[in-house]
This record gives sequence, structure tokens and C-alpha cells, in this order.
Amino acid sequence: MSEIPTRAVRELTIRVLRCNPAEPEQTPEWQDFRLEEAEAMTLFVALSLLREEQDASLSFDFVCRAGICGSCGMLINGRPGLACRTLTRDLPDTITLAPLPGFELIADLSVNTGKWMRGMSERLETWVHDAGLADHNLAQVEAPMDPALAREIYELERCIECGCCIAACGTAQMRENFVGAVGLNQVARFRLDPRDTREDADYYELVGDEDGVFGCMTLLGCEDLCPKDLPLAAQIAFLRRKMARA
Amino acid sequence: MRPSVNRWPARVDVLQSASGLLLVLFIWGHMFFESSILLGHDAMYLVAKAFEGQPLLSEPHPELVSIAGGTVLMLIALHALLALRKFPATWRQYRELHGHLGRMRHWDSTLWYVQVITGFFLFFLAAAHLSQMMLQPEDIGPYASADRIWSDHYWLLYAPLLLTVHLHAAIGVYRLAMKWGPFSAATTDRWRGRARLLMVSALAFFLCLGTASLVTYMRLGAEHAPYKGERYTPSWERE
Amino acid sequence: MRILHTDVLVIGGGLAGQRAAIGARRRGLEVTIISLVPAKRSHSAAAQGGMQASLGNCRGAQGDNEDLHFADTVRGSDWGADQQVVRMFAHTAPKAIRELAAWGVPWSRVERGEHSITVNGQKQTVSEADAAHGLITSRNFGGTAKWRACYVSDGTGHAMLYTMSNQAIAAGIPVHERMEAVALIHDGERCCGAIVRNLMSGELVAYLARATCIATGGFGRIYRVSTNAIINEGMGAAIALETGRAALGNMEAVQFHPTGIFPAGILVTEGCRGDGGLLLDGAGERFMPGYEPEKAELASRDVVSRRMEEHIAAGHAASSRFGEHLWLDIRLLGEAHINTQLREVQEICQYFLGIDPARELIPVRPAQHYSMGGVRTDPHCHSPTLRGLFAVGEAACWDMHGFNRLGGNSVAETVVAGMIAGEAIADFCASPEGALTVSTTLAEEFHRREANKLAAIAGNSGGESAVELTRLMQETMTANVGIFRHGDKLQQAVNTLRDLLQRSANVGLRSQARGPNPELVAAYRLPRMLKLALCVASGALAREESRGAHYRDDFPRRDDQKWLCRTLARWPGDDAETPQLDYEALDVMGMELPPGWRGYGARDFIEHPDTATRQAQLEQALAAAGELDRHARQQLLMPFLHLLPAGLQARNQRLGDAP
Ligand SMILES: Cc1cc2nc3c(=O)[nH]c(=O)nc-3n(C[C@H](O)[C@H](O)[C@H](O)COP(=O)(O)OP(=O)(O)OC[C@H]3O[C@@H](n4cnc5c(N)ncnc54)[C@H](O)[C@@H]3O)c2cc1C
Ligand code: HEM
Repeated sequence: MSEIPTRAVRELTIRVLRCNPAEPEQTPEWQDFRLEEAEAMTLFVALSLLREEQDASLSFDFVCRAGICGSCGMLINGRPGLACRTLTRDLPDTITLAPLPGFELIADLSVNTGKWMRGMSERLETWVHDAGLADHNLAQVEAPMDPALAREIYELERCIECGCCIAACGTAQMRENFVGAVGLNQVARFRLDPRDTREDADYYELVGDEDGVFGCMTLLGCEDLCPKDLPLAAQIAFLRRKMARA
Repeated sequence: MRPSVNRWPARVDVLQSASGLLLVLFIWGHMFFESSILLGHDAMYLVAKAFEGQPLLSEPHPELVSIAGGTVLMLIALHALLALRKFPATWRQYRELHGHLGRMRHWDSTLWYVQVITGFFLFFLAAAHLSQMMLQPEDIGPYASADRIWSDHYWLLYAPLLLTVHLHAAIGVYRLAMKWGPFSAATTDRWRGRARLLMVSALAFFLCLGTASLVTYMRLGAEHAPYKGERYTPSWERE
Repeated sequence: MRILHTDVLVIGGGLAGQRAAIGARRRGLEVTIISLVPAKRSHSAAAQGGMQASLGNCRGAQGDNEDLHFADTVRGSDWGADQQVVRMFAHTAPKAIRELAAWGVPWSRVERGEHSITVNGQKQTVSEADAAHGLITSRNFGGTAKWRACYVSDGTGHAMLYTMSNQAIAAGIPVHERMEAVALIHDGERCCGAIVRNLMSGELVAYLARATCIATGGFGRIYRVSTNAIINEGMGAAIALETGRAALGNMEAVQFHPTGIFPAGILVTEGCRGDGGLLLDGAGERFMPGYEPEKAELASRDVVSRRMEEHIAAGHAASSRFGEHLWLDIRLLGEAHINTQLREVQEICQYFLGIDPARELIPVRPAQHYSMGGVRTDPHCHSPTLRGLFAVGEAACWDMHGFNRLGGNSVAETVVAGMIAGEAIADFCASPEGALTVSTTLAEEFHRREANKLAAIAGNSGGESAVELTRLMQETMTANVGIFRHGDKLQQAVNTLRDLLQRSANVGLRSQARGPNPELVAAYRLPRMLKLALCVASGALAREESRGAHYRDDFPRRDDQKWLCRTLARWPGDDAETPQLDYEALDVMGMELPPGWRGYGARDFIEHPDTATRQAQLEQALAAAGELDRHARQQLLMPFLHLLPAGLQARNQRLGDAP
């Protein structure tokens, strides 16, 4: 029935880009680790084993290890992805791991996506804007919302701010201030939300420039590598049309 | 609209795409006219004269060709100027982009890079071709063109121009579709699939068409080489 | 030494911490949040299934109200909860959800017309009223009389946490990310901040605050198999414990969730069963109705987990090369349902098991899931023994869960407690007690102490390995302090853990790297985790009864006569090897719902002598009062509204109520 398929044991070479900015005398370099593959091994399991058994100083970030929190984005064989839910059996014998580009490096595979995302949120004001919020009557029955609309908003709300779309975006790699798919998706999400009282003119002020939606060159790396399969291309195209007319 | 807001980023983005679209429409149309040579000397002659306004004005006016060429050149200049903003501007950006494309092995990102490179070459190739057309607008015709292409070695310009312009145009159309297209989450895959199909078929079609006519011109040029300079007289004007 | 001053220091950026921070900020205080990870990555994001609040909008929820929510929660807790707190909670939960709705959470909504649902393996059709269209809907969860778990597909916690974090950003509350509180600064009476280690640079900073609030979540990682995030190591509870003043309540009450995927332990939500999914054994047979005719798969978690392990022990498991397990079957819900309402489950199955749950069975086995225990507080989320220290969320023992938490009540608690704590913290800061009088020498002293400790650990060349000791701790906890407990095994566990605690002083480091030295982090967290583990194991050993999630083979009955009380664990001093345990009685004479049978699980228990008296007293009072509406009735039996902030006291309106 639901048996996990078996396979002969492989020896994996895990090649990690090591760099610890706190030790400036060390230069970034690739380091190879060898590891025996186990059944249903994820990169979370593999990296944890490396740290436990081979190199205690290896830095990386895992939190939920279930593909939900977005902490463990890294370049896996050159492409961004969530390490916790990447099974080694889907990868070749040699696996290269590098930190997500486009973010401040903390050490090895650990990058400061949190700081970037907070900056993005502050800049795009990614919250429901409604003057009445502070003295909202909580005892009252909530305002109704169309069920289909709620589903649509959730579809965009599923973003976990892992940073994969930024690492997958040629524009973001060239231009530091580009808000990227993660930011544009947030704007699309709030624009869709009737509880947010902002209008297109307000959104235009946030993303109506080269660092916003008009900076996107439609390379579609975000669309293809988003771990949550968010409809990013559709959202950006939609936003571009709206903003061009705003 | 708030008065303080800067509308230029929106306008510029639309202009970039619109100029690109116009250029694509132009080049695709141009291909059909140019390849009229495949239907014979007379067909090509008629098309050339049509563009000189002969059917309407009863006299050929090659200046019209110059004007059209100038317009296209200006359109290209505008388009190139706008697109230039997207080029990697610094060494750092160039390095980042290169590293990124190398690592990602991502089809669409690479296509964009192809567009940048072809765009860069087009700047020279298209300018060379168009200025030539503007300066000698009367020299378009079955013999004149064939002579230029063969005896004056213009095929060395046209072959790469053909390849670059069609790569650039086909990818450009795909990009336009993905950039502005009215697709939704549910229809993204279908839309994208069709846009890709359009890109590939347009590229294949126009490359074939272009190659066929270029080869024809070259063959005609080679045959006509001994009489270089002679102008074509349509069959109905010969006795 | 760097000292940062703030009015309120909130340790933890999950749902609970951020809601408390927003509340205090709204009252004009300067608030700083610190968190191990970016706030949006806190483990609250992993909550899938739902948040309980008695809105009563959809068909399955019709007739729901605070009274039913209260009764379900108390029964779920096996009468271990503080009933006044449960009342405060049930009364505030609808407000919490409505606040979140206004703030932007895209709650799934009622859709008018006919729907097909799955109950007891059968398809049924229900019809939703026009009037309810567009209001917040809810799903069925274990141990509840009504469909009460409001949800956002199965990304409830994610949607809640993002909305909450965004509101915190809107309020301008700074979150100092990748910061770990390693000690509370206190003088034995009053807590006045924390010593905090920067996990990127290793720097130690003192944060001085008028009020400090612990919101650090659970400590599941003291177990080997847990649904918790790997950062859920209980450091907040541990540093409170290490003050020697603050107490940890009911640490032995640890919840095991029936459906951790096997073997990884990643959770698939209770919503799977709530929506109609079934548990099957190795033979592909449904077995829960045989054990629990009343609620079957939807009995409370402690009961279902126990029945599953019982069934496995009786030889009915399926087996794979990883060991024995059971199956969760959600195929009958249909692909469309799974792809809209159980999306995360679908993804988890796809990525971690390589299966499609619409077509295949999901291998599951109970896994550690939730810590009912935590920093003991009063109903205002304030530590009764260390003033200025507040605690909220899973890290706290506010005590609305007693010995077993109901699914969906936890994220609800985080927000509700956050709302209450925010006000309580502001009230405290405004009171004379709230002034910060300590001198910076106290901060310096604590700073020096922590710096010395870290230096000693970093310089230790002992032969022990933190990895190895952690593994031993986790195995001990899973093997001996799990779902079925026994005196001998618990004693063994206490001995082993005590031994490990001693050995942990000898952990040597291999790497001396500056910056984010993960090895150092593991080494200094280890003894703290061991102390928590000792609180759990010692508490479990001492409690000679079975209540909620705490089940003793050797004492299988609930014993209200001896054990209707809350365990309080304190760490007597730096050299102590085991916690000091005290007990706080639960007063039957103050209960609105005196102890009885839960409606599922074991029927026999030893009654408390006061139970009959209290029951009679309640009946008498009601008879004497004559006709009363349910609010007045409740007020008569056990007043609680006075404990709530004024802004949260209003009656909740529901569909069909006269406005
Ligand atoms: C897989 C899973 C699914 C769940 N599903 C549901 C559900 O459907 N419904 C439900 O009601 N409940 C559910 N729960 C339980 C619920 O999610 C948690 O109990 C709740 O979210 C805890 O919230 P919190 O704010 O208390 O803590 P968390 O969200 O865990 O946040 C803790 C915060 O404290 C920080 N922190 C920890 N230690 C320190 C330190 N020493 N210094 C600084 N910061 C620190 C962390 O960085 C983090 O920001 C689920 C739990 C799990 C594990
Ligand atoms: C001097 C010559 C040219 C240069 C330097 C140039 C450059 C570029 C570049 C760099 C882009 C990508 C812009 C982006 O990603 O936003 C682009 C897009 C495009 N180009 Fe050109 N180009 C030139 C000529 C042409 C010609 C002759 C055509 C028509 C055949 C054309 C059609 C397009 C189209 C349709 C697009 C897509 C428009 C868009 O992305 O908005 N270009 N061009």
C-alpha cells in the first residue's frame, strides 16, 4: 500500500558553501562532506547528521521542518528550495548547498531573510488599513465575506516569506531594492481584501515604480520555484495592468 | 489621481512594451513583404513599388520608404533606450546576473538574457540596415536588392540580423504575453503553454521564411552578378 | 555591557507574545519583542486545523455558546483546569476571532445551500441557511459538542500569525530577531527584564523592563518524536524555573497527538478526522468505535492516542521497516475537499511520504504535541510569586487546559490570553508596583553571571557530547514518560535524567567559532532542557492517578480525592538535581461544573468528598433563583466577568440574537 519505495544505499557527497563573517580571516569555500543516505532522508535530516557527527560549527536554519515556516530556503544544486522537505532520493549523488543569494549572510547556509521581509512589510505596509480598527466592536457579529473571496485571499496568504522567489529572481539579484514577487504578491493580497480601505492610487505609491511592479522583467523564476506554488505570474501581471491604469 | 504621484514609471513600462509590440508587428509584416521574392520577381517589384506609394500617387516616391525607415529607426531608438534601463548597469550587477543564470539553469530567465544580447546586437544590425534603406530608398527591387545582398555582401549583415531579430521578437511576444496577459491562477499554465507555442512557432516560421528568401536573394544575386547595377523591369513593361 | 530599556519586554514572537505586545502598545507603552526566529516563523504558524470559538454560525455549530465551550473544555481537561479561567477564555474567544477577522484573517466562510459532508464514514447532506452566508464557518474537532473550530483551510495558524505579525508591524513594535533570553533578571521578588544572547553575533545584552512577558511556546523537543518545531525547547519556561521563584504548573501534563505521520512525527491536523477521516488498523479495519462508541475518532486526544497505542499493543498495527503504526484514511473525503480544505496535509503527504492522500492511506502514530504545563500564572497572566513576570500561550500554565487540551483551544488561548495579558501588563505598569526601581548593578550582576557560565561552557574540554546527551534525554522521555506511564519506568527516567544533568556539566566543545556557534547553543540549552524534563518526569512519578493525558498503568483511575490539584515545580537552587514539587488544590466548592464523567474515556474515578455537596449546592441555588436566562444562571454559579478587562466583558452577539 503506502510503502515508501526502497533503494540501494548510496554514499552522498554534500558540498556546502562555508562562510562565517564573524571570522573574517576565513574566506568562503566549498567543503565536501560524505554521508550515507538513509530511507526517506530529507536535507534536514542530512544536515542535522552532519552537524551532529562531522562538523559542529555548521550553520543552517530549520524551525518547523515541515515545509510551513519558510526558514530553510537555500540553493540546492543551484536552485532555491526548502531544504526540510527536499528528499535526498530526488537528488544526484553530489548535492551542492549554498545560502540564498540576495540576503544578508549570517553564516554558512543561514541568511537573514527575517530582516529583509520585515523591511518589505514596513515599506509596502502589508496590513489591513482601516481607520476603525482600534475601536472595533468585538461583541458584534462579524461582517460577512463571500466564501469564494475568502478562499482567493487565502490562496495569496499562503506565502511563507521563505525568500525563494527573491533568490530565483534575476531582477532582485541585480537590484537590491526590488520588492520581488513576495512583495508584489502581498500587495495583490491586500488589494483583493475588501477590509483594506486602500485604493489603487495608494498601492501605486507603494509599487508604481522600478523597484515595484514595473521593475519586474517577467523572468518567471518566482513562478517556477515558489515552494508553495503561489500564482505569482498571474498576480504580477494583474497588478501591472491595474497599476498601469491607476 | 493624486497630483504628487509620478506617473512616468507606468508610462515608460507601457511604452517599452508598446514599442516592442509595434516593432514585432512591423518585422513580422516586413517578412511577408520581403519574402514576396519567393513568388517571383514581379511580385517583389510590386511590393517595393507599393511601398513607394506608386499605386496611390501614380509616381514612385522613394522618400516614403525613407520616412518609414526613419520611423522604425526612431521606434527602435525609443525601445532600445527604454530597454537599456533593464540591462545590467554595473559590473556587480553583471556578475550577479551571470552567476544567477548559471546556477539556476532556468529557461525563462535565460530567454531574457538572450533578449538582452540579441537586443544589443540589434542596436547595430538594425541601425545599419535601416540607415542604408533610408539613404538609398530607391534601391529596393528584385535586382537591386539581390545585387546588394550578394555582390555587396550584405548577406553578412542580413543573416545575423534575421536570426537575432526573430529570436528577439518571438521571445519578446512571449514576454509580452506573460507580462500583461489577462490570465488567472487557474489559467496560468494554459496561457503560458500557448504563449510558448506561439513563440516557438513564430520563431520557426519566420526563420524558415526569412532563410528561404535570403537564400533566394543570394541565388538571384549570384546569377545577376555579371549585370550588377541593372534595374529590374517588370514583365508587363517588357515587349 | 549593553543595556536596553523598554517598558515591556515580550520574550517570544508567536501568536501569544505578539497579541500581548499589541495590547500593551495600544495602551501607550514602549514594547520590545525578542524572538529566536523571525516572528512569522514562530511555531504558531504550524497550527493547521482551527481555532475554537463558539460563534454558532454554520449548521453543525447551531446552538453553540460559551456554556458549551466551557463545559467541553473542562471535561477535556479532566477537571484539571481552573474553571474561572476557562470561563474567561470561552467568553473572550469569539471576540478574539472577530478581532482577527477585522484585522485580515481570511477565515473560511459559510456557503449557503446544500453541502455533502462525511460523518461516521457516511456521506450526508446538510443545508446552510441564507442568513449565515459569508459568516465565519467552523469544523468538527475532537471532544466538542458542536462544530466549533474556525479555520482558514488548514493553514489556520499561518494566517493568524501573519495577520498578527502584520498588525504588530503596523503598531511599530520592534522584533529583535535571533535573540534568545538566557536568564531573567530579578531580585527574588520582582522580575525586571532578561539577559539576552544574540544568536548571530554571540553578544550578551541586558534588557531592563518594567514588565516581562514569557511567550516562548512549548517544549516538545525534550521528546524524541514530536510534532513541535525544533526550536520548541522550552527555554522560556526553563529560565523562569531557574529563577527559583516562579513555578511551573502541571509539567507532567503532556499531550500526544493521535496523527503524527510516521516516522517523521510531522503533524496532520485533527481536522482530517473532524472532516470525516477515519483511523484504520493493519487489517484496514476501523477500530475506534469499538473502544469509544460515543465519540469514536473524535474523542479527546488523550483518549484517542491511548486507544491507538492500546490497539497497536494488542497486535493490530500495520508495519513498515520503520516500525509499527496505524493508518489515517481521508480518501473518503474526496479530492476536491482535500485540495481546498486540507491543502497543507496534501503537501505534507506529497513531500514527506511521497503519497497522495486522496488515493492512499497515511501512516500515523501518536507523537508528543503540546505542553499543557508551563509558567504558572494567575487569571491575569501574572506570576503570583515573581511580580512583573507575565506568561502567555503554550509557555504558560494559565490553566485552561488542565490535563488535556482540546484541539483548537490552543491558538484560541494564545490570542485570548494575549488580549488579557496586554491589558494586565498595562495595568501593572500603571500601578505603583509597576515602576522599575532596581539599579543597573543587578543587571550587571546577572550579565556577568551568564557571561561566566557561557565562557565556562565554551572553555570546557570535558568528554561529554551535547548531541549524545540530548539524544539520551529524548529517548528516555519518549520511552518512559510517554503515553503509558508506570512508577518503575518513571523512577528510572528520573534517575537517568538526573544522571544526564550531572553529565551535562562535562560537555566539551569541538568548535570555538565566533558568531552563531550552534554547538555552544546546544551545550547551554541542554541542562535547561534536562531540568524541564525532570519536572515532567518527577511530576509524573509523584502523581499517582490517571488524569487526562497523564496515564499511569499502575494507577489507572482518576483520583479526585487525592489529586484534584495542580502540580507546582520549582528549582530550589543551582546545585539542585530535582525540582521541588508542591500542590495547589482545586476548590470543588468554587466549581461551576463539579467533577464527573467526561462523556468518553474511562468511566470510573474516585470522587472528591466535596463533589456531591457542591452539586447539591448548585442545584439548590438554581432552584431558589427561579427562572433565569443562561447568563444570569452562570453568574449565579460562578462569577468571572470581574476578572476580565472592561473592554472584553460585553456579551457576544450571535446570528439570530436580538441586536
Ligand atoms: C504541528 C502543530 C499543529 C498545531 N495545530 C493547532 C491547531 O490546529 N489548533 C490549535 O489550537 N493549536 C494547534 N497547535 C498548538 C498551537 O499551535 C501552539 O500551542 C501555539 O501556537 C503556541 O503559540 P505561542 O505563541 O505560545 O508560541 P509559539 O508560536 O511557539 O512562539 C514561541 C515564540 O517564542 C520564541 N522563543 C522561544 N524561546 C525563546 C527564548 N529563549 N528567547 C526568545 N524567544 C524565544 C520563539 O522564537 C517564538 O517566536 C499546533 C501545534 C503544532 C506543533
Ligand atoms: C536596437 C535594438 C533593440 C534593443 C537594444 C532591444 C532591447 C530589448 C530588451 C533588453 C528587452 C527586454 C526588456 C525587458 O525585459 O523589460 C526588449 C524587449 C522587447 N523587444 Fe527589443 N530591443 C531592440 C529591438 C527590438 C526590435 C527590432 C523588436 C521587434 C522586432 C523588439 C521587440 C521587443 C519586444 C516585443 C520586447 C518585449 C517588450 C517588454 O518586455 O515589454 N525589440 N528589447
